[in-house]
Amino acid sequence: MNKIDGAISQFQSMDSMAKEDRWMNQIHPSIKLFLTVLFIGLTVSFPKYNLTGLFGMILYPFVLFQIGELSFRESLYRLRVVLPIVCIVGIANPFFDRAVVTRIGEIGVTGGVLSMLTLMLKAVLSVLASYLLIVTTSIEKICYALQQAHFPQILVTEVLLIYRYISVLLAETRRVTQAYHLRAPGQKGIAIGAWGPLVGQMLLRSMDRAERLYQSMCLRGFDGTFHLKEKSHVRRTDILYLLIWTALLLILRLFPVLEWVGRWFVR
Amino acid sequence: MTEIEVKNISFSYEQKIPVLENIAFCAGTGEAIGLIGANGAGKSTLLKLLVGLDLGYTGEIRVGDVVLGKKTLAAVRKKIGYVFQDSDSQMFMTTVEEDIAFAPRNYGLSREETALRVERALEQVHIKALRDKSIYKLSGGEKKLASIATVLSMDPDIILMDEPSVALDPKNRRNLIRVINELKGIKIIASHDLDFIWDTCERTILIHNGRIVCDGDTEMILRDKELLEANGLELPLSLYIRR
Repeated sequence: MNKIDGAISQFQSMDSMAKEDRWMNQIHPSIKLFLTVLFIGLTVSFPKYNLTGLFGMILYPFVLFQIGELSFRESLYRLRVVLPIVCIVGIANPFFDRAVVTRIGEIGVTGGVLSMLTLMLKAVLSVLASYLLIVTTSIEKICYALQQAHFPQILVTEVLLIYRYISVLLAETRRVTQAYHLRAPGQKGIAIGAWGPLVGQMLLRSMDRAERLYQSMCLRGFDGTFHLKEKSHVRRTDILYLLIWTALLLILRLFPVLEWVGRWFVR
Repeated sequence: MTEIEVKNISFSYEQKIPVLENIAFCAGTGEAIGLIGANGAGKSTLLKLLVGLDLGYTGEIRVGDVVLGKKTLAAVRKKIGYVFQDSDSQMFMTTVEEDIAFAPRNYGLSREETALRVERALEQVHIKALRDKSIYKLSGGEKKLASIATVLSMDPDIILMDEPSVALDPKNRRNLIRVINELKGIKIIASHDLDFIWDTCERTILIHNGRIVCDGDTEMILRDKELLEANGLELPLSLYIRR
């Protein structure tokens, strides 16, 4: 399987996971969306040196991986492209902020290192939370939740269409690269000289295909608004789930819970 | 029932080279019409004009009592189902069921009516088992049937199909013929697969260089070797074998 086939397969697999009948998947999409936004909001609001406090937020993805019966290893594999990029955030901090702010034994830890780690953890946690939302909620349900939250219709439609066009673009890329490799046997990768026409062709083909898809939508009554099937009701379990997580996340953000636990052990 | 009437349609793209010239025909209740012609004859273009995908033509297209135009586009499209040549370009929702329900939801039907339409469309093309299947995972034949179901859920009076038999294996082709023959309403099928037209249409319109050369009984036209060859086609393979 080449890289593009792998990407298509990963994309389809995430799509299938979101449609499974697991407990996590059945939680109302609006609640999952709200909690994800709340989690990301609270996570990024931690002060730059408060690494200890931020560690407490790991509880949310940890528990979700458990109750959602999701594989952490698989998620790391899927996010292998994104995670290094988000880890670059704050990589320059150690060079600018050299004041020692704490010590681990004899080793002094500078503010730069601490803020870099805090930023990296914030980014990783935010990406993981988004990933957890995507693999437990189908795109239709996410868009339904956005509609319920009175997001502008045009944005909801954009989200749905972009999601659809990812697969269109991937399929076109596969066709073009397959055609190339069949006529360039034994060649590793794509020659630099071929990149220009190849990308140009891909763009033209994708536009052409997107145009036909749009025509197909218009011919079936599309007027700019996606009418989504989801009309699920909020159950008691959903409300309980929302209340417990909101309380837990606020406690983890407002109080130094891990410090208290640490002190209790040291005592 | 709706009729479709095409009055002296002429059309050209930007280069001003005519793609269609003085096309005129009429299709009535329950008719199945084959549009045949060599590559580039103008078959697909004609189908696109019939659903208003391009309105830059001269002449008139009338669907029932409605003349096709910018203001009547929505009303006309509600009556016509268009099956694209490439099924991948037709379906875009995640599952077969979602894609079939797309049109009824857009037309504001209730959830119950939408569910009923989906059920009926799946039954009509015999793909009930594919209901929850992801559209990425369908085979070529399944895709074609699913794409027909996506327009059947609109309950159209007229169905247009562009090269429906392309890239189908014999079994899927036979299955598709059976499904098409079971469909009610006006069917206009553009194809250069003459055996397919032979099996599905009782009337045929032969187009060559954007003009209608012949309009009549399918058997009569498809048996006319000279006529077909003069217009870039050949006798259907099944007739060769019978000879």
